Amino acid sequence: MERRKFIQNTVLVSGGLILAPSLIAQNASEVKAKNKLTILHTNDTHSNIDPFPENHARYPGKGGVARRYEIIQKIRSEEENVLLLDAGDIFQGTPYFNKFGGILEMKLMTKLGYDVATMGNHDFDGGMDGFVKAQEFADFPFVCSNYEFGNTPIDGHTEDFKIIKKGGVKIGIFGLGVELKGLVPDDKYGETVYLDPIEVANDRAAKLKKKGCDLIICLSHLGYEYGSDKISDRVLAKKTSGIHLIIGGHTHTFLEKPTEELNMNGETVLVNQVGWAGVQLGRIDFEFDTHRFSRKDVLIVQ
Amino acid sequence: MLKYIILFTVGAGLLACSSVNTISLNSSSSSNSDVLSQGNEGNVIDSIVAPYREDLEAEMDEVIAYAEQAFEKGRPGGSLNNWSADALLQSQIGNARLSGPTFSLLNVGGLRNTINAGDVTLGDIFKVMPFDNEIVWVEMPVESLTDIAEYLIASGGEPIAGARLKNGKLVVDGVTDDTKSIWILTSDYLMNGGDKMNFFQQKISVSHSNELLRDAFIRMAKKQKMLIWSDELRIEI
Repeated sequence: MERRKFIQNTVLVSGGLILAPSLIAQNASEVKAKNKLTILHTNDTHSNIDPFPENHARYPGKGGVARRYEIIQKIRSEEENVLLLDAGDIFQGTPYFNKFGGILEMKLMTKLGYDVATMGNHDFDGGMDGFVKAQEFADFPFVCSNYEFGNTPIDGHTEDFKIIKKGGVKIGIFGLGVELKGLVPDDKYGETVYLDPIEVANDRAAKLKKKGCDLIICLSHLGYEYGSDKISDRVLAKKTSGIHLIIGGHTHTFLEKPTEELNMNGETVLVNQVGWAGVQLGRIDFEFDTHRFSRKDVLIVQ
Repeated sequence: MLKYIILFTVGAGLLACSSVNTISLNSSSSSNSDVLSQGNEGNVIDSIVAPYREDLEAEMDEVIAYAEQAFEKGRPGGSLNNWSADALLQSQIGNARLSGPTFSLLNVGGLRNTINAGDVTLGDIFKVMPFDNEIVWVEMPVESLTDIAEYLIASGGEPIAGARLKNGKLVVDGVTDDTKSIWILTSDYLMNGGDKMNFFQQKISVSHSNELLRDAFIRMAKKQKMLIWSDELRIEI
């Protein structure tokens, strides 16, 4: 319904040019449409395909891909524009990975309809050949913006960023990975070059804005926050501009709701993360107001 | 005519520019909510998983031990920290080649799940230690204990057995004034600088056990039958 209204308004603009010039002036102040986008996300699912057992010390009976699928399907039936994203560490944590190397994880994420994911450090655990082998079963792209894979088997298997159009809104998504040295055995990431996340983030956000993206999302595996100046999602939010939403991972942080930070320009950035193992599913609903004569594209948190 | 050209130019500009003006978060419908598994057996996901699950269950559902209460990791310590470091130490200590003061050191980050109260299956140990890391014996100069103590204080604590951190000092069982070197039992991942354990660069020699850490955990769990629970505080910061 909302979408139809938006399309009608757009049509009115172009049609009005020729047919009824007076109508344009009249509508300029009045035309306003609302579009809604629902972003669903996970991080650090770590090969947890089955739910935690009922005797689990922390998360009895929680998680499980089958249940996540049902929740996502229900939301898809209620909402027109849904994006499903993952912030990395898909692999490693249950025998499913030890035995099948990540193939089942990729098959299931494809069935769930993931749109984009990024790589976490544990997605290197099967080696780079192992990642490529499993990724053949993924029907969605991985965005990795600050890893240069030039001389590695992963070269050509990830993308720098991804632009998706949903209901008249253009969404730009890029991905940031954590520094691999000291975290992943050297031979598992080989000649992968790690680039400074802040520099890369500013560059990609500007690039995506230039390409006309209305909403810019960073999938990050940097970690939510540390007790030091070490780069994290909260530091990234404050030291960059142009990003509206950071969907994070790595630190297995459970947040009640997205954290609000102010970026370099004093604009709001949301940072979210949903623990690990698929225990939770994150949901962020955005509404887009469309006026015609000014463009601020700032994020308002009500 | 001119009127139409101007209008066309304005119109084209409008169309090229994105139409989004403000983005607002709908706080009431946004939420991070639990994925609860109840009564959803038999959906399409299960049919994809089923052949893989059957393959695994045959192997992983074997009960190898019993836990009277849950083992959890923590900082500065935790019952899972103690169990894993003890299991590592005890799995190697009987070896005749291992002489001199010895302690075991792992990392909290490497313990990937709890051991829950009840039957402990092979799969449970895989979830605690999914990595294929090998046990190594690292001979270190006794002076390196200062750097290791600093590391443990900075990290907030890691699993250790055969040693204690107290008053900023790491005291290893059996070290005397004459001790020149000690052995640390750890994983190849940590010895190679994993989790920034850069102090291992001071190593004098390395012996490979040719045993995976997980296999040693499995071996010790089977031997203990009833897993030995301890919340003894080994790291005091």
